[in-house]
Amino acid sequence: METKKVLLTEDEIPRQWYNILADIKMNPPLGPDGKPVSPDMLAPVFPMNLIEQEVSSERWIDIPEEVLRVYCMWRPSPLVRAYALEKALDTPARIYYKYEGVSPPGSHKPNTAVAQAYYNKVFGIKRLTTETGAGQWGSALAFACSQFGLECKVFMVRISFDQKPYRKTMMATWGANCVASPSTETKAGQQILEQYPDTPGSLGIAISEAIEAAVTDPSGQTRYSLGSVLNHVMLHQTVIGLEAKKQMEKIGEYPDVVIGCAGGGSNFAGLAFPFVYDKFNGKKIDIHPVEPAACPTMTRAPFAYDHGDTIGMTPLLPMHSLGHTFIPPPMHAGGLRYHGMAPTVSQLIVEGILEPKAYKQLDTYNAGMLVAKTEGFISAPETNHALACVVDLAKKAKEEGKEKVILFNFSGHGLIDLGAYEQFLSGNLKDYEYPAKEIEEAEKILEQYPKPQIIKSH
Amino acid sequence: MGNPVPFEYCEVCGDDQHPCFKILDCWWEYFDVVQYLKNRLPEDQFNRLMAATPKPKITSLLELIEQARKRNA
Repeated sequence: METKKVLLTEDEIPRQWYNILADIKMNPPLGPDGKPVSPDMLAPVFPMNLIEQEVSSERWIDIPEEVLRVYCMWRPSPLVRAYALEKALDTPARIYYKYEGVSPPGSHKPNTAVAQAYYNKVFGIKRLTTETGAGQWGSALAFACSQFGLECKVFMVRISFDQKPYRKTMMATWGANCVASPSTETKAGQQILEQYPDTPGSLGIAISEAIEAAVTDPSGQTRYSLGSVLNHVMLHQTVIGLEAKKQMEKIGEYPDVVIGCAGGGSNFAGLAFPFVYDKFNGKKIDIHPVEPAACPTMTRAPFAYDHGDTIGMTPLLPMHSLGHTFIPPPMHAGGLRYHGMAPTVSQLIVEGILEPKAYKQLDTYNAGMLVAKTEGFISAPETNHALACVVDLAKKAKEEGKEKVILFNFSGHGLIDLGAYEQFLSGNLKDYEYPAKEIEEAEKILEQYPKPQIIKSH
Repeated sequence: MGNPVPFEYCEVCGDDQHPCFKILDCWWEYFDVVQYLKNRLPEDQFNRLMAATPKPKITSLLELIEQARKRNA
């Protein structure tokens, strides 16, 4: 029988995380005054041991035994050969995925939540606060805090709090206190509720509340925790890619292509950064972070980050057709529509080490459906972006007759996101075409805008 | 967010209940969001929105720490 899963034993789990800051040059983070940030400026929200990791340039950082003990509940996660998907695509490509849906909350997020809870615990912190949108991060931190006996306070954006009851139930089951944001528990929340009692909340308000709850605790025993973007978060996630390398080595394979979806960048970085290290050291490998085509951050779009002018833009509904009382219908906002990408991922794109790709919503769900029907697992809507890229590249491998080895991160299951699948299956999700000519015109306008300074590491 | 989001949410989920800086990126496909906002927002607010870029996370965390302290001073 063919080997479906490549497993590591618990004593084969990596003992160190890989820190990519040892291998790339980055502009130092600046404070609101434009001056470089010093570690003590972050001390009100993070314990010093995590701040040290945030700024460390040590290449390898030991994973504490206590963190490994919790990791071993679901790690090492399996590396799976997607035979049925390969067959369905009739591709010569060999497709492997790292399945992170086996963690208690069902995603990659506890890889850093557990580490952060541990470092806070040993620093003497009793309580962690955080914000959550869809609830994945909140539930991961709730789980992690329960493992180390920490209190956990989660401010969940009101609109999701009302629409996604099961995530808050998960948090409560692990003993966390999850409240809708804005709440009456912070001055930030109170001020917003006073002005806008019916507000749906926002991630911005929720993070303000979580920071305020940490900063104003008179005991000094509360800190804040963030689940993406920051360097120490990327660091903790590299356990995924380090395991995958060992697993592929066991079967004599090495990927030609590595793929992960990217919103804030942590699951992508977790799988990809150990392979980026190999690429720095001469390996030929294509590495793709994948995002939604509709609201891109890494790939170019008409408005991405420098909004420019709008001459010649042709949206679905032009202004003259709208009327004064026009209210657009709600759209489905997938979890990758995040407001910021990890600086390390952005830097590697600038340097040409990573090649971002973008896929349309319907392509991502079609890929998710195909994987569910072949490999069995129902993927999180975010993961579907990686799957769309896998399907695309596997088809290209067939056209080119190349036996490529494709590795992707199956970052989480979608069993608590079935509402999105329901919308897809009932035909309520749509894609919109944007004419190529109009994009070209917008690009010309954007060329007039100043570009950020680029530092190259290699 | 992983769920249906109404346009009104994006109009108020930015700093100080102003439109999110990504509102144009997220809605340009659906309708003429630029002209729509130009007709409704004060000129200076509209211009700020058009010029908006994401803040580095560390910078925004430091701003939030400062704001939290001021609110509770």
